[in-house]
Amino acid sequence: MLTLLGVCSFVFVHWRRCRSGSLNDAAFHCGSTALPIVTKMEAELDQYAKEVLDFSSHYGSEGSMSYTMWNAAGAPSVFPSSGDFTHTAVFRTYGHWWEDEHAKQSFSRTPRSFHSRDFLEVAFEEQVFPTAITVLETYHPGAIAQILACSFNPYAENHPTDIRWEVLWAGEPTKVASPQARLFCPAIRQVSFATNLLRLEVNSSLLDYYTELDAIVLRGVRNHVSSITTPLIIANTTPNKDSDVLSKDVNMSNGYFDKLPYELIQLIVSHLAVPDLCRLAQSCKLLQRHCYDPLQYIQLSLQPYWFSLNDLSLVHLQSRCAVLQRLNMSWTGNRGAVTASGFCSFIKACGATLVCLELSCCHFLNEVCLEVIAQTCVSLQELDLASCDRLEPQAFNHIAKLARLRRLVLYRTKIEQTAILSILTFCTELRHLNLGSCVMIEDYDVVVSVLSARCRSLVSLDLWRCRSLSERGLAELVSGCGVLEELDLGWSSALHSGSALHGGSASFRHAARRLSRLRRLYLTANRNICDADLEHIATHCPALEHLDILGTRLVSPAALRRLLQSCPRLRLLDVSFCSQIDMRTVQELSTLFPNVSIKKSFTQ
Amino acid sequence: MLSVLSYGRIVARAVLGGLSQTDGRDYKLVTASCGFGKDFRKGILKKGMCYGDDACFIARHRSADVLGVADGVGGWRDYGVDPSQFSETLMRTCERLVKEGRFTPSSPVGILTSAYYELLQNKVPLLGSSTACIVVLDRRSHQIHACNLGDSGFLVVRGGEVIHRSDEQQHYFNTPFQLSIAPPGAEGSVLSDSPEMADKSSFDVQLGDIILTATDGLFDNMPDYMILQELKKLKNTNYDSVQQTARSIAEQAHELAYDPNYMSPFAQFACDNGLNVRGGKPDDITVLLSIVAEYTD
Repeated sequence: MLTLLGVCSFVFVHWRRCRSGSLNDAAFHCGSTALPIVTKMEAELDQYAKEVLDFSSHYGSEGSMSYTMWNAAGAPSVFPSSGDFTHTAVFRTYGHWWEDEHAKQSFSRTPRSFHSRDFLEVAFEEQVFPTAITVLETYHPGAIAQILACSFNPYAENHPTDIRWEVLWAGEPTKVASPQARLFCPAIRQVSFATNLLRLEVNSSLLDYYTELDAIVLRGVRNHVSSITTPLIIANTTPNKDSDVLSKDVNMSNGYFDKLPYELIQLIVSHLAVPDLCRLAQSCKLLQRHCYDPLQYIQLSLQPYWFSLNDLSLVHLQSRCAVLQRLNMSWTGNRGAVTASGFCSFIKACGATLVCLELSCCHFLNEVCLEVIAQTCVSLQELDLASCDRLEPQAFNHIAKLARLRRLVLYRTKIEQTAILSILTFCTELRHLNLGSCVMIEDYDVVVSVLSARCRSLVSLDLWRCRSLSERGLAELVSGCGVLEELDLGWSSALHSGSALHGGSASFRHAARRLSRLRRLYLTANRNICDADLEHIATHCPALEHLDILGTRLVSPAALRRLLQSCPRLRLLDVSFCSQIDMRTVQELSTLFPNVSIKKSFTQ
Repeated sequence: MLSVLSYGRIVARAVLGGLSQTDGRDYKLVTASCGFGKDFRKGILKKGMCYGDDACFIARHRSADVLGVADGVGGWRDYGVDPSQFSETLMRTCERLVKEGRFTPSSPVGILTSAYYELLQNKVPLLGSSTACIVVLDRRSHQIHACNLGDSGFLVVRGGEVIHRSDEQQHYFNTPFQLSIAPPGAEGSVLSDSPEMADKSSFDVQLGDIILTATDGLFDNMPDYMILQELKKLKNTNYDSVQQTARSIAEQAHELAYDPNYMSPFAQFACDNGLNVRGGKPDDITVLLSIVAEYTD
């Protein structure tokens, strides 16, 4: 009851804020509008998230409770305060700063309404028919792009075979001017089933800094109140209807379509999204031929349709994907929709020509799948397995057979040291490697020394939260990989303890001297970055675009100014929690260097 | 309906407890805190459970009652670091760990270790050091599990006698073992003990046992017999009387700390170490007084 009252008061505060005009987006409806209708019939139930089931990325380290997604569960601990607090759920990135322009072209045919970059799935104790969802955003709000509900009960004994996801709310990513906390309580659609599993999809690309979520409240009624007309926008767009209806009238003329050149129709059809392509294929024989043309399926992104993709859709797509080169199946197939065997037979049929394969958060993957990929996709150059945290360690051994790999993402996976060492030994063409938050790798120094010996053309390396990289490892890395342009050493805790002598760390200076092509450098929470390091970076890295030195006490405003003067291409500079750099300095420098986005986070 | 059920459960539990003489009831700790900062103004300005550079927490979870004290090492003030930030963050983190159930009652060192690890995970570059003492009551097994790093500590009193006390850990005189985060480059020159170094102990408790957990500000100024005298006044297990006793102990220790002629345990110890010291030891004082009572929903 108390929490109900509490939330009501939050809602009231929010309503007042709405009225005072601080939120002017039409999408934000106050919960109170929906309230009176239902309360008359049945008491509503408010629940905080019980558990976080799945997510695509987070800022914190595995096994910690600071800045990790698991903080989204439970009652709020920060709200109504605003600021950058450890207690909240924080995604790994924000803005466009981490977008990889040269490594990852975006897939064509991605529908414009698909904005999601990250997601978070939370379970609640009891299944209800949702009447309102409130997300407590305590820092840089505005990232939520979509909220979905699932008919699947994660706490039930017997699982239904038919799992439905329905969109409760969808919107455009917004840019909210203020970083202050707010209650996000959009007007949601009613669904025809009770749910205790919600999914939040976010897009932080317009935000100035990390968005932080404190808690999620699901309000709903236990029993179906009235016959709700379900305004379902998402049709179940499984591309699976092979149309043999039209096969009888073979000789029918196609009118003007016959006069159009084949390539022209192909060009027109190429602008359609995948479900539209499948629907068009059912209209007539001619268009079916066009829509089934393998050339339409050179690249295929199924990520926007993660909720409806299943084994059957893969079977149907199989015949059209003869020359498939780029496949994005990220987020798809969970909760049994796609099975390992279904995936394997698809890859066996269509994988030979694959160049790029994105499989982040695909929990159906197992060792056999990776084995099949390694055997079939001989020309694979890009492989993304980010957040496949349930994939067993031995599965990664197979990746070593993909000798032509140029980009490999293993963020938040359980890869072990032996596997990564054999990958590095055989995949010498690697350009981009992400080993962020790989907790099973014991000694990053060894990994990095093999890396510098074998993969000398490495352009970008992400070692976010690698715990064991030492200064010796860093020295070895830069001696071999001299063409590095992007280096993420954020939260590498062993780099800033132990061997550092007075006056800062010689290894950073050495690194700066060697890596003259460096464009992005993240030294997040390396507590001993000092003025001398910055001076070396300023002198030797003129191409620098991003620099993150969050949380050092040793950097002075003067050194920062010199850096800004000598790096004309600098666009992002994060000096949050640098105790010598106060807000005034940041404001001064921001006016002097308007092209640079200088970040200074706060906790109050 | 629900209340009938819950009463039924209590009755059933009481009957069962009466039948079997082996105690099937769950215990809990009734805990009150009181303290004084060395600097009065600071103590008042601070919000929450913080007395000067000392900090403490009282938290409960399904299976256990947990409490702890931490004494921020004052020497950090010379480096321009607020010593209370470290101890307070450490205690707040412990509290959060307990509330979220990320601990096992039998391993208070685990709480300390994870809390220390979380401090390093903070974006804010924390500096400082602190002693720490954590006491856990396992409700079901009626056992106290405690760990103590440094010169804070606890006493267990039963029937007016001290039946258990924690060991003090010092590197040398007035320099206790401590958890610390050193500034970069000074890692070697700052005392830093791992949470694993903490003195661990486990023992059974009975209903009515009193546990007094405090920072050195108390033990340096008040000898055991005076503490026991105060504890005698504690007759029942309700929160108010516990709070009252805690307050009177803290107040008395605070008075003694500023008495220049009083031969405090600290002065005694200093004399033993060849230093000619008299009077109390002005210090932050934190007292957590708990009494073991029967657990009721």
